[in-house]
Amino acid sequence: MLSRFISCGADANYADFTNWLLKFAKFALKKERGSHSIYCTYCLPFICLLLCCVGCAEKDEFEHDQVGNFEALWSIMDEHYSFFDYKQVDWNAVHQRYRALVSNEMTDRELFDVCGDMLKELRDGHTNLIASHDVSRYWIWEQWPVNYDERIIDEHYLNFDYKMASGIKYQILPGNFGYMYYGSFSSNIGEGNLDLILSYLSTADGLIIDVRNNGGGLLTNVETLVSRFIKEKTLAGYIRHKTGPGHNDLSEPYAYYFEPTKNHIHYLKPVVVLANRGSFSATNNFVSIMKSLGQVTIVGDTTGGGCGLPFTSELPNGWRVRFSSCPIMDAQGRLTEFGVAPDVRIDMDDTDRTHDAILDAAIGLLAAGTNAPR
Amino acid sequence: MTRKLLILLVVFTALNAGGQEAQSVLMLDAGYASVHDSYLTPITYDGVDLALSVEAVRPMRQGQWLWQLNVGADYNFVENPSKNNDLHKLMGDIAFDMQRCWKGVFNPKLNLSAGPMAQLRAGIVYDEVNSNNPVTVRAHANVGATGMAWFNTRLGRKPITLRYQLQLPVAGVFFAPEYDESYYEIYLGNHKNLAHLGWWGNRLDMTNYLGADLKMGKTTLRLGYRNRLEHWTVNHLHVHDVSHSLVLGLSL
Repeated sequence: MLSRFISCGADANYADFTNWLLKFAKFALKKERGSHSIYCTYCLPFICLLLCCVGCAEKDEFEHDQVGNFEALWSIMDEHYSFFDYKQVDWNAVHQRYRALVSNEMTDRELFDVCGDMLKELRDGHTNLIASHDVSRYWIWEQWPVNYDERIIDEHYLNFDYKMASGIKYQILPGNFGYMYYGSFSSNIGEGNLDLILSYLSTADGLIIDVRNNGGGLLTNVETLVSRFIKEKTLAGYIRHKTGPGHNDLSEPYAYYFEPTKNHIHYLKPVVVLANRGSFSATNNFVSIMKSLGQVTIVGDTTGGGCGLPFTSELPNGWRVRFSSCPIMDAQGRLTEFGVAPDVRIDMDDTDRTHDAILDAAIGLLAAGTNAPR
Repeated sequence: MTRKLLILLVVFTALNAGGQEAQSVLMLDAGYASVHDSYLTPITYDGVDLALSVEAVRPMRQGQWLWQLNVGADYNFVENPSKNNDLHKLMGDIAFDMQRCWKGVFNPKLNLSAGPMAQLRAGIVYDEVNSNNPVTVRAHANVGATGMAWFNTRLGRKPITLRYQLQLPVAGVFFAPEYDESYYEIYLGNHKNLAHLGWWGNRLDMTNYLGADLKMGKTTLRLGYRNRLEHWTVNHLHVHDVSHSLVLGLSL
C-alpha cells in the first residue's frame, strides 16, 4: 500500500492511503489508550510513515516522446474543450484518424503539423497550438472579405485629423456624427479617457463605433465600454464553465449583468456598431451585447465568433495549447461561436479606394434617424 | 467577549512562569520545491523554495504547556521540465498551537509535547503565459494537531537542542474554483461551490521540521531541515506541492 502511494500516480492511491492511516490511528488509540508506550509503539512509526510520503513529487501522466505529447494534447482537449457536442465533433474518431499518423520517429515539426491539423477539426479560432517555431490556427476571417481599410477612413473620412486616447481614434464626421475606432480590446480603456472622448462626441447626433478587425482582448474592457451606453442594469448574457472532464460536464448558465457607470458620461443617442469577420472573441461579445440594446444597430458583416473564453494548458514537451473553455452566450441564451449576424449586411467594394460602403451605410442610417429592423 | 479577553490575559501573563526558556527565532528557508496545480497546467514544475518566518515559543503553567506562533511567507520559483515557462507561488501563513509537555520521557534529556493547532494559509500561484487561467488562489483555514520531540544535549561545551516537529492539519475549509471556472466568472458574481470542507479524504497538508538550536551566549543559532506537503483533490482539480529546504535561524 505504501509503495503504491509513493508512486503518487493516482487519486485512488491517495484515498486508499488516507483510509489506511485512519484505520491505523483508530487501532493504535484503541489498543494503547492512556499508555505511555503509545508514543514509541505507534506514534513514531506513524510519523516515519508520514515522512516517507512527503518526499514524492507528483508524477506526470504522459511520456515525453512524440506519441506521449500527441496523447497529452488529445487528452487535454478531450477533458477541457467545451464545444464538442455543439459542433458535433466525434473526438474519439479524430483520435483514431490522427494517432495513425504519429510515431516516435517523427520530427518536432512533423508532429506539430499533425497536431495542428487535428485541432483544426474543431473549427475554433480560439484553439491554437503554440510552439517556439510556429502557432497553429483556424482563423476563419482570413478566408472572408476583409471589409475594412484603415487608409480609406483616415484619408477620405477623417482627413488624417483625429484624436486618440486609450487606443481609441475619434472624431466628429461631416454631418455631425461621431466616429470611434477601437482596434483592440487589449488596449485598456481609462474611465477618465472615455469621459473625455464621449464629452467631445456628445454634441454629435449619432455615434459610430467601429470595431472591425478588432481581434478581441479583455472582457473587462467590454464592460467598461458597454456601461456607457446603458441607462439601467442590463442583462449582458450567460456564462458557463466545464465542471469535469466529461464532454457535457458544464455548469448551469450564469446570468451576468452590466450596470451603467456611475458619475461618468453616458451616450444614449442612436449608435451604429461596424463589424466584420475580424471582430473576434471579446469583440464578438461586445457586438452581441450592443445588439441587444434598443438604440444600437449593427452594420457590416457577421462577426468572427469565438464565444468560448480560452484557457491554456501545456504538453510535456513545453508546447502550449489554447482552447475554448467557458462558453459565453448572448442575452437570449444563444451561443455566438460562429458569429453575430449584423442588422444591416453590407460588403465593401474592393475596387473603390475612396469609399467605405459600411461606414457610408452607417452614416445613412443615422442621417435617416432610423434603426434597422431586427 | 470580556471573559474571552480575561482568559487570553491569564494565558499570556502565565507565559514566563514555567521552567522553559521563551524563544523567538527568525528563520530563512532555502531549498527545492515542486508544484503541481492542474488548474494551471498538467505538468509538474520544480525549482527553488525560499521562505522567511518567525517562530515564537513560550512556556506556560510552569512548563507543563507551551504555545507556539509561526508567521511567515514562502515563495516558490519553479520551472517546467522543458525549461520554457515558470510558475511563481507566493504564500503567507500564520499558525498557532498550544501543546502539553511531557519531560524526561524514556530519557531525562528527551521531552515530548503535543496539542491542537490552528492555521491560516493563503496565497497565489501565477503562470507567466496562460490566457484566462493565469493565476489561481490558494486559501486554507484549518485545525489539526502538532507534536514535538526535543532532546537537550551538548556539542562540546555549548548546549544544543535537537528538535523534530510535525504539524498536521486534520480538517478545515479551503478555496478552489470549479474544474475550468474562470476567475472572470467569479468576478461577475458566481460564487457557487468555491469553499470546500477539507479533511484527509480530499486533502493532506503536513509540515515536518528537524533541526538543532545551538546556544551561543544569549544568541541561538538554528540549523535545520523543513519539509512541506500540500496535496488536495476537489472538483477534479489536483494540487500536489512539496518542498524540502534547509533552515537557517537566529534568535531575536
